[in-house]
Order: sequence, then structure tokens, then C-alpha cells
Amino acid sequence: MIAFDVQSYPLNNNEWSFPVCECVHIIGFAFSIGTVALVDLRLLGWGLQNQTSSQLLKDTAPWTLWGLLVMLISGPLIFFSDPRMYLYNQSFRFKITALALAILFNYTIHRKAAMSDASGAWGKLVGGVSMVLWLSVVAGGLFIAFV
Amino acid sequence: MALLSFAHDLQSIGFLTDIRESAVVYPIIMTTHLCTIAAFGGMILMSDLRLLGWAMQSRPVSDVVGGLRKWKWLGFCIMIAAGLLLGTSEAEKYSGNPYFWIKMTILALILIHAAVFHGSVYNAAADKKFDGPGGVPQRARVAAALSLILWMGMVTAGRWIGYYEPKNGPRAEVTPAQHYVIAQH
Repeated sequence: MIAFDVQSYPLNNNEWSFPVCECVHIIGFAFSIGTVALVDLRLLGWGLQNQTSSQLLKDTAPWTLWGLLVMLISGPLIFFSDPRMYLYNQSFRFKITALALAILFNYTIHRKAAMSDASGAWGKLVGGVSMVLWLSVVAGGLFIAFV
Repeated sequence: MALLSFAHDLQSIGFLTDIRESAVVYPIIMTTHLCTIAAFGGMILMSDLRLLGWAMQSRPVSDVVGGLRKWKWLGFCIMIAAGLLLGTSEAEKYSGNPYFWIKMTILALILIHAAVFHGSVYNAAADKKFDGPGGVPQRARVAAALSLILWMGMVTAGRWIGYYEPKNGPRAEVTPAQHYVIAQH
């Protein structure tokens, strides 16, 4: 195993960098999950009726990707402040599983459904599943501090 | 110490005490509060970035800003409802936390922002006033930029509340690494 000294890790040596990473992480998911949610609502038949799902997906996809990138940089920075704690934290494991499923779902089934402007039961199912998966990631993240 | 005694009375209300003392209910309400950022935060970002001309340019301003307005209000109401439960059930702790008051100040500024720009920017945008060749006026761009700054400040202040350490009391929250160091000793 690679030696990793948790106490010399930069995030653990001042009061502000850990919370700053968390804020960046939250703003990152406002962009990524927030833009996916717009497409989800359209698939559910609730939001932004003037735009089709495919238009909405094309317009928001770059912001989703940027948000994901910010999340996937700030997340590991937070993780390495205490890898052992996170690895054995049930809520963290749940979160990472949900995240992997959410990303996979987003760029396969969700993308296909939005690009074909899926409506009716199929559209609603895909929009609903996407919403549940992404909100599970957020919930799992918050519960790391409570389990 | 009128504020502190009011805070004490407030958080002593039966169901607020129940929330505070529950190992499950408090984090669930906090999750709801945080999930509104994921579900509705993108709406604030996209409407303001559309006004600034940075996002969703292929769509008319009225489609984006107008279409998202009622959803933004719904999100705001859920966020406030969950926030009220969190704030009042821990009123005593939060009343002495400067970051809590910074956050409340930002919230007040957001409400002032809404009052000031409601008609001239967001109503006008929804009414297709900015869809024509004149584009988005300076006032609307300023409103959008201010909104983005205020909301990011809101998130930041919110996160910092958890890390404030009162002078004569225990830490409100420790980072995982500090927890790890403490556990080792």
C-alpha cells in the first residue's frame, strides 16, 4: 500500500480549505445535478413546455459536464482528507454506488430518452429514475456525517 | 441576552425539541434543504446565465426565464420551509453563530433583490421584452450577476455555519480528518 500521511495532507493543515472544497462541491452539483433536473422535469412532463427534451439536453449538457468535472475534482480532494474513514462509512459507499449508477444512467438511457423526446410513461420513468438517483447521491453525501 | 432567551423558548417548542433530539429527522430535513440546491439550483443558474448571455443562447430569454419562474418559487418555498425547521430547532446554537447571521443577511438581500428586480427584469423577461433585437438591457445583466453572487454567498455562509467554534463551547462540527486525529489519540 502506498504510504499516505493524512496529517500532512494540505486540506488538514488549515481551517478553511476543507469547507472551501465543500462549497465548491455543492456549487458543482448545483450545476451538474441542477441542469440534469431540468431535463428530468421536462421528461416528467412538468417543466419548460416550450422546449423539447432534446433541445433542453443539448443546451444544458455542457454545464452538466462542467459541474460534474468540478464535483469529481473537489470530491476526491475531500476524500483524501481521511480516506480510511470514508472507505468504511456506509453512507459514503451508498453515495459512490449511486453516483456510478447515476453517471452511467445519465449518459446511456437518460440521454437516449431525452434525445428521442420520450414522452408518456417511458419519459416519466426515465425522468423519475434519474431524479431519484441524483438526489440519492446528495443524500448519501450528507449522511456521511451522521452515520 | 433577550435574543438567547427567545432562542431558548423557541427551540423548546415540543416538535422542535423532537426534531433536534432525533438522530434521523434532523439529517433528513437537512438533506431536503440540500437537495433543493440539486433540484432547483440549476434553475437559478440557468435563468441568470441566460440573462447574461452565457447559457442556453439558442432559446429565447422568455422561454428560459419565464418557464422557470414558478419552479424557482416552488424550490425557494421548500428550501425556506426546511431551513426554518433547521434554524428554529437549533435556535440557541445558531443565535450565537456569526455565519448564521451572515446567511440571514444574504437571505434578506435576496428578498430585496427580488423586490427590486421582480417587475423590471424577471416579469419583463417572461413577457418577451428582452427577446427582440434590443437584447437584454444592462439592468437585467446586473440583476443576474447580483443574483449569482448572492446565491453562491448563501451556499458558502450556510456551509460555514457548521464549522463555527464558540469560544466557551465544544466545536459544532469537526472535519473528518480532525475526527480521525482525535480518534487516534
